[in-house]
Amino acid sequence: MPVAPLPTQAPRPATAPAAPSAGRRRLRLSLSAKQAAFGIAILLPTLAVLAIFRFLPMIEAFYLSLTAYDLVHPPKFVGLANFVSLAQDPLFLKSARVSLTYVLFSVVPVLPLSLGLAVLFNRSLFIKNVLRSAVFMPVVMPAVVMAVVWTFMYQQDGVINTLLGWLGIDPIPWLRSSSSALWAVILIGIWRATPYYMVIFLAGLQAIPADYYDAAEIDGAGDWAKFWHITLPLLKPTTLLVIVMNVIVAMKVFAVPLIMTGGGPADSTRVLPLFIYQTAFEFFDMGRAAAMSVFLFVGVMLFSFIQVRMFTRGDEQR
Amino acid sequence: MNHWKISRTVSSLVAAAMLTLFTGGAATAADTPANFPKGNVTIEIWWHEYGPFTAYVKELIQAYKSVRPNVTVNPVVTSSGDINQKLTVALATGTGPDIMDQDASFYELYYAKGVLEPLNLEVFGAKSYDEVLARYTPGGLAAGTFGGKIYALPYQGNSMSLFLSNKAFEAAGLSPVKDAPRTWNDMIALGPKLKKVQGNRTVQKAFDFPYHSPRWEMQMFQPLVEQFGGKLLSDDGKTAYLNSPEAVKALTLWRDVTKATGDPKTTMNTPSNPNQDFIDGRTAMWVTGPWATSQIRQSQLKDGFTVVSYPQVDPAKPHTIVYGWMWGVNKAKPEANKIVAWDFIRFMLSKPEEWLAKAAFVQPVKGVSETPVAKSFPFFDVHMRDVATASWYIRSEFTNEIGQAVGRAIERTVYDGVDPKASLDQAQAEIDKVLKK
Amino acid sequence: MSPGAAPTASRRVPAPPPRGWARRAKRHRTVIAAFCTLVGVACITLLPFYWMFSSSLRTMENMFSIPIQWIPDPLNWQSYVLAWQAQDFTRYFLNSGFVAVAITLSNLLLCSLAGYSLTKFHFRGRGLMFILILSTMMLPLEVTMVPLFLIIKQLDWANSYQGLIVPFLVDGFGVFLMRQYMLSIPKDLIDSARIDGASELRIFWMIVLPLCKPALVALAVFTFREAWDMYIWPLIIITKDSLRTLPLGISLFMSSYGTSWDQLMAIAVLGTLPMILLFFFLQRAFIQGIAATGLKE
Repeated sequence: MPVAPLPTQAPRPATAPAAPSAGRRRLRLSLSAKQAAFGIAILLPTLAVLAIFRFLPMIEAFYLSLTAYDLVHPPKFVGLANFVSLAQDPLFLKSARVSLTYVLFSVVPVLPLSLGLAVLFNRSLFIKNVLRSAVFMPVVMPAVVMAVVWTFMYQQDGVINTLLGWLGIDPIPWLRSSSSALWAVILIGIWRATPYYMVIFLAGLQAIPADYYDAAEIDGAGDWAKFWHITLPLLKPTTLLVIVMNVIVAMKVFAVPLIMTGGGPADSTRVLPLFIYQTAFEFFDMGRAAAMSVFLFVGVMLFSFIQVRMFTRGDEQR
Repeated sequence: MNHWKISRTVSSLVAAAMLTLFTGGAATAADTPANFPKGNVTIEIWWHEYGPFTAYVKELIQAYKSVRPNVTVNPVVTSSGDINQKLTVALATGTGPDIMDQDASFYELYYAKGVLEPLNLEVFGAKSYDEVLARYTPGGLAAGTFGGKIYALPYQGNSMSLFLSNKAFEAAGLSPVKDAPRTWNDMIALGPKLKKVQGNRTVQKAFDFPYHSPRWEMQMFQPLVEQFGGKLLSDDGKTAYLNSPEAVKALTLWRDVTKATGDPKTTMNTPSNPNQDFIDGRTAMWVTGPWATSQIRQSQLKDGFTVVSYPQVDPAKPHTIVYGWMWGVNKAKPEANKIVAWDFIRFMLSKPEEWLAKAAFVQPVKGVSETPVAKSFPFFDVHMRDVATASWYIRSEFTNEIGQAVGRAIERTVYDGVDPKASLDQAQAEIDKVLKK
Repeated sequence: MSPGAAPTASRRVPAPPPRGWARRAKRHRTVIAAFCTLVGVACITLLPFYWMFSSSLRTMENMFSIPIQWIPDPLNWQSYVLAWQAQDFTRYFLNSGFVAVAITLSNLLLCSLAGYSLTKFHFRGRGLMFILILSTMMLPLEVTMVPLFLIIKQLDWANSYQGLIVPFLVDGFGVFLMRQYMLSIPKDLIDSARIDGASELRIFWMIVLPLCKPALVALAVFTFREAWDMYIWPLIIITKDSLRTLPLGISLFMSSYGTSWDQLMAIAVLGTLPMILLFFFLQRAFIQGIAATGLKE
């Protein structure tokens, strides 16, 4: 498995809090061994479930990427042949490009939007609870329903084009044009993801003790100063979560393009997971599909890894 | 290409006699075949959801119980959009059904992968496959016959014809009978009269090609190429001719017809509901099969529709397409299950007129059109005329890849204005790579 | 957001009035700007809900009328009755509900335990564990589906609730969420409880979990939605009609006849309703979670 222990974990013992006095150290040693055992024990159920239902299939999928496997006959080992042929396949490269566009444009706007909304909701406001529920609503809409409802709204003489008409904008063919279909799908992604991460930011904001702000106020700090010097630094763990999750979820987007466009028109919305699905289940080429997902895996893993490293540098001692 | 022609000269008497023979043959075969298992057997049958079809198959399962009390048939219904994935995973993991249901274009792939059990002759009371073939119209089993053996039987082999909305025609001061188009050029001429535009919105299309799935795009593209005298695939399935001069002409015509009659930017059709725009009254003319009749009658159109022959390039040399689904038997199952499975398929298919009455599916067996049901079925003669000049969807292990490549080529030309030749050259290059494997 | 309004406010304020008044005026402006922004955002987020609901009540004749009919007239409640009868939706709802509740409860427990372990205990390989857990989210189900199905088959869990539930008892996302949240819980709090002699489990249950309320609520909503949404997996492993989940029912409904948009939208409304109810139910816990933050020091 292409994972290595976090390099940032190594120096931790050095930066670990030296709070307990030297006299109590011996007692703590045995205690901390006991604690570590407890820590491991409560991790075990999670590891067990994940090992059986995630790692095993993952390892199998990695193996399949090195085989020619048509789902019916036993897989035949072919080495790196799938990867070599993929690297030269314009359809794969196009699909990878579509996926990257999707990820870039559905992740970048969501970050400031969700954080901004969370900050606005973290103050006292008239009918705040009502508004917050309203803004949160996209999260609760089931994906199948979402795809159906948005398809309906996106039609040529549908509600969205009507609203645009009020603003004097000509109807946009949304899903029925290769130049706008991907943006239509991206918009839905943003619509759905923003409140999702807003809530996570909100949870993070609530964990910031109020007296930090009180102290800053006494020092005469303005709203922006408080945001930059207190909120953002203390939200670091949450921000990491949001960035990494957002990229993972966006990279795996599947149901919405499948139901709404089937990847068209002219391939413009055929994101990688959709292409993987077609390769496996319509073309019966599981080896190739597995190889594609290894590309996906390595890409997302690398990204998350860099993010985790960037964000955890030196702030884990708490 | 496999054409199946119903000779219009066959007298009704002969045909009726043959049908009696066929169904009568089925009745005698219902006397248990010698190899039929004596103990209890449970088989599973999967099919794709479509209201009237599901209701009828469930009825058949009930009826089968009284004929074969030792057999239990478990039904599994899946939406048409999902059945492929469910079936594929099941076949890959050895958990599939005994009887599968799939679009006819998939069977060559299944055959190539070796998942199909050939038809059990003993169950069908036949000495040879030819004997079974003879019960069907010429070419009627073409999509399920491989290497001289029958591997799948169609429960629907529908023609595709042109359906017209009477309301839309009358509103434009036209008669759906007299003014119905016969050629694609007629279609282009009708375009401005039936296409309604409000401001910059198309509120009613005169006609439209399907854009909801490559499967349907290919299905309409293939007869167009054939009408120009070309073909998409060599008979051995090893060479594709996606950028032949005929194909380029076909795509050019496709684009021109779309410009005059349709608006590819507006469609609510989906693979599971390909007739949606027509049913909702947003398209005045639409190509579909007799199976859509019950759906249309239940919609706001009611009986306000007319069916005419599939539009042609040259009506003297007509070419159309058959759209069908077939039953097949899973090779991985125990011997007893496979015998029972074929017996149940035989039982299900033994009353073609009931399939027509209850699900509006046309089985390609001889004599159907002479039954009372067919005689009262709206526009049945039109459907039969069209099916007589029809080919099945191209047969290849790589049908899905070819369909997608053609679909993309069509969309590049229609949506992005790419030149038809360039668009098809790209499709050809994509498929050459696949076929070389 | 407020930045646009803030400077204008301070510029317009004449110099002499007392500072307190200026601050209040500025605050007022910011609050109004924030309020308007949020109302605008709420309109965007609610539009699809309104459209879904109003379309379910529109008659088919008015479904595609131009100009579009904002308020359905006449009201077509019949669509709900017809849609509900078309498939065994009662059963599908119960199945989805049961599966979603089971998965949610187990995730709440296991993810918070795992998150606690990964933040407040030191043991070798902790970082590796975290990365491994993260990595489970990075392969699409489309390629792990066949191997996963083979495991389920071996366990003889196809066509069972176990098959629907057990593989999802815990999810990498939940662990990640809880870990990130728990990073902000001060270690001293736990240490002082230990000094007071509280057992580890008790500390987790009585001190850590209550502090995690906002994150737990977020996790509950997300997990429940994911489980309620499950589509491809039940499609693959379920062949019994009695075990079908709601999205499968909706998909079946869609391909049954031509789509009756009014009925489809009615089913969409009904399929979303449990999620909305759950959210409003949890919304209260959410508010309590906010109230509790005052104690966090």
